[in-house]
Amino acid sequence: MNDRALRIAAAAAVILVCIWAGARFYLMRVPGHGDMDVPGAQAGAPDPSDAATSESMTTDPAWPHPKVPARLPTFSLNDLEGRPTPIVRWQGKSLVINFWATWCAPCRREIPLLKSVASEWAGRDIAVVGIAVDYRDKVLDFAREFKIDYPLLIGEQDALNVAAKFGMDSPAFPFTVFTDRRGEVVALFVGELHRPQADLILSVVQNLNQGIVQLPEAKRAIADGLAALLKNRAG
Amino acid sequence: MKRIQLVVVSGLLLLLSAPMTAGAKPWWMRGVDSNETDFLPPDVAFRLAAHLDGDLIKVRWVIADGYYLYRQKIEVRPESPDLQVQAPQLPKGVMKTDPYLGTQEIYTQQVEIAVPYTRIDFGAHPIQIKVTYQGCAEAGLCYPPITKVVFPASAIKPAETTLPSHPWEGMAILAGVLAFLLAGLVLRKGRKLDTPA
Repeated sequence: MNDRALRIAAAAAVILVCIWAGARFYLMRVPGHGDMDVPGAQAGAPDPSDAATSESMTTDPAWPHPKVPARLPTFSLNDLEGRPTPIVRWQGKSLVINFWATWCAPCRREIPLLKSVASEWAGRDIAVVGIAVDYRDKVLDFAREFKIDYPLLIGEQDALNVAAKFGMDSPAFPFTVFTDRRGEVVALFVGELHRPQADLILSVVQNLNQGIVQLPEAKRAIADGLAALLKNRAG
Repeated sequence: MKRIQLVVVSGLLLLLSAPMTAGAKPWWMRGVDSNETDFLPPDVAFRLAAHLDGDLIKVRWVIADGYYLYRQKIEVRPESPDLQVQAPQLPKGVMKTDPYLGTQEIYTQQVEIAVPYTRIDFGAHPIQIKVTYQGCAEAGLCYPPITKVVFPASAIKPAETTLPSHPWEGMAILAGVLAFLLAGLVLRKGRKLDTPA
């Protein structure tokens, strides 16, 4: 190949690369520049604010790792009566913080499990707190209908901001955060929680609270246990 | 030497295009080896496209296996000025009964809806619609309602293409001009200008 042919080939390559890059760039920007709506949500990115993060923390090795905080972040949301309720109200207890919405079928399916978990573990310093990311009226009706007897906090954009503090800045529901009694985040479970998963995580949290295992071991035990459950279910 | 220059130029262009495909990953993709248990990002679970077909705007979703869209959550509204749309014609879905949510009509695999439209500006503006939809994964995860502004394919008629209707089109044209300029420089390198004697 002579020099001129080489230059023509190079020029053609340059043009093709530019056209390809331009097309990619254009296609990335133009079609569907929308976003997810959550009832009551307003424009503007939630503030992930405080809370040190540990990228590697997750309950499920198969699940993408959200940027989960190492410790329970501070936040406050209104309760069913509309009173601002800081999460530190449950300081000293292990928490099962369940993010949900009334329009979400798997969230609804979880409610009976969460109710029984709340009653079964109440005497062992483990409390269930629901965070409804939804319209207040809908949550009140739903809570009444389903006789939810564990504490509920409600919010729209403010609840989304709290979800972002747990690394769920593009949330899907349900997801559930488990902490130990010192406020360390032990696990974040995305998707519908079932009895075997809840029992596994809570038994490890209890061992952690009793000093039987340390936090890294607890996280590993949960990850391995969930993977085993998943494998059994698939098998 | 010249070959090295060409390789460097091509390499630089490839590098410039790389960040467009990378970007910050959302929470469902961060640092994870994907496997069958991963939940999909909503734009992958529900692939949306729209095109014009006579007096109808056809909006189509390709729905990933194990995911579904709620029929009653689909809404289409006009986004461009002077566009009027009627209620979408939704095909029959599949009835799904959930003990805690009741019976809902859902779509799986793929669905196409038709939206009758009229334009009262005779094509002065490109057609844009705002589509809202909501769906879930069978494995137990629901995405909040998603709203997207869509430009149905073939909505821009030749008369309208004389002016860029979107800022990115202007940038694409500028990039094209620069590409040809760069190619011209590559070709010209080492050539002498033939001047009249």
